[in-house]
Amino acid sequence: MKKSKSSRILIITFLILPILQLLVFSYIPILCNLYLSFTNYKGIGTPLFIGLENYKRLLTDTQYIKLFKNCLWYMLAAIPQLVFAFVLAVFVNGKFRGLSVVKSILIIPYLLNGVIVSTIFIIFFNNSGTLNAILDFIGLDSFKHQWLQDLKLVNPSIASISIWRYYGMNFIMFFGALQTIPSELFEAAAVDGCKKWQEILYISIPSIRNVLFINILLSVSGSIQVFEIPYIMLNGANGTVTPVIQIQQSAFAENRVGFAAALSILVFVIVLIAVGLQNVLSKKGDKQR
Amino acid sequence: MIQESKLYRILRYVFLLAACIFVIIPVVPVVYMAFKTGVEYSSTNVLTPPSNWLNFYNFAYAIRVGKLGRALMNTAVILGISLSLQILFTTMVSYVLHRFEFRGKKIVMTLFTLTMFIPVVTTQTVVFQIIYRMRLVNKMPSVIILYSGVGIVGIYIMFNLLASISKELDESALIDGASYFTIYRRIILPLLKPACTTLLILNGIGMYNDFFIPNLYLRKNVQTFTVALYQFFGSTATPFEIVSAAILLGIIPIGIVYLFLQKYIYYGLAGAVKS
Repeated sequence: MKKSKSSRILIITFLILPILQLLVFSYIPILCNLYLSFTNYKGIGTPLFIGLENYKRLLTDTQYIKLFKNCLWYMLAAIPQLVFAFVLAVFVNGKFRGLSVVKSILIIPYLLNGVIVSTIFIIFFNNSGTLNAILDFIGLDSFKHQWLQDLKLVNPSIASISIWRYYGMNFIMFFGALQTIPSELFEAAAVDGCKKWQEILYISIPSIRNVLFINILLSVSGSIQVFEIPYIMLNGANGTVTPVIQIQQSAFAENRVGFAAALSILVFVIVLIAVGLQNVLSKKGDKQR
Repeated sequence: MIQESKLYRILRYVFLLAACIFVIIPVVPVVYMAFKTGVEYSSTNVLTPPSNWLNFYNFAYAIRVGKLGRALMNTAVILGISLSLQILFTTMVSYVLHRFEFRGKKIVMTLFTLTMFIPVVTTQTVVFQIIYRMRLVNKMPSVIILYSGVGIVGIYIMFNLLASISKELDESALIDGASYFTIYRRIILPLLKPACTTLLILNGIGMYNDFFIPNLYLRKNVQTFTVALYQFFGSTATPFEIVSAAILLGIIPIGIVYLFLQKYIYYGLAGAVKS
């Protein structure tokens, strides 16, 4: 008990800086944002209270509704992304020649930053770029398009990049989860004369159901926060503005801090729902196990 | 293990081959371009290999004009300091939260847990004002302060390991007259090394590749590699063959790290998911 005073000193000294960092750069800003979202704050001067005006504009003005519609493309792209990652994980989970080479290649996109990925895909989608050159090469000239200029195609085009960029993350998670399944399960199944596809359907998928859910919700919360690809590739031109690009423009270029705060809160709430669901689901899964 | 049928094995090879092509195809023209001359770039198809694989002009140009060497150094300094601070803080917080009972412990734990609900992109309108008032815009400490925050994933990775370190070890050291700090420094910290490696790699890749934060706070004076690369091809309309060379240069450091630490990346990420 003599030690209790020294333990208190240690607890305080070890916790003070990290907690301070947390409060100043996460909690206080989000609370300030909530307050500012009800004002017309311009970055200087006194914020004037305007009630729900900012939110009303966000939810009624078609220009701002479009921001969230753009996000839907990214959510849509998450479906092939997750399926692709899962099939890959199933195939890679085993022993075969060339395994390590395949793993090394598959992880490449995960290691590249947004600027590099964006540049690669500017070259890919350019009018005389990789995609059109390939279409030419295999005789599908009629499918050639101005992928980044055509207003109908630009959003699906750049949203599809996220398949290439992010599947690696899902793949690693699925792969890791598959490896934790006890091998006795597979051995028992083998004794019972189980086929490979049955093994996948009745053992692999149910065992990693949790990780599948987590990845789906990660994709949803990621889609709402899309920034780098449309910002770096097009600077939000051709109707590719996303909520986060709009937050930056409103807050730092147009000095509409109050409005940017309202949009931030809206994004925050959507992420909150997605991450909240993810937590509830993974807790439920733990109890079942 | 269930016998894999011949069909399954063929299916696997076909699918994996297709996947590898899918990954590599967009990158191939970039590699080609980096070795092409300006004239060659505009006169040949993107899928045509360069005529001279030893044409390093583009690389030299990118390094000289893009100031990419300097930017890489900046990134290295920021990463070095941020990662050291972050990992140190994470071990400290985890040690205290795992080994001590005290009033308000639940609140502290909740504070750290709930930060994962607050995406970075939704707080920067206000954080920028704070950093601005601290007079840190366009100075390295701005990004370092933001990067050194303790995340809940890190805490859980540490908890996993701390649970396997016997508390009796702590107690016997305490009886021998060691202070709590000595226990942390001499017993806990060395044993937490594997968890630190995992965190180092996970967050190191994240910070190296981050664009959002440095693009807000370090536009001038001390650009990180991502920001320098962005400005290099964004504002000055640099030719694609030069940009391609710059991209390859940017991949080299992470490629080297990857070659040496491949297995940690796989197991680190998988472990982070489990916890």
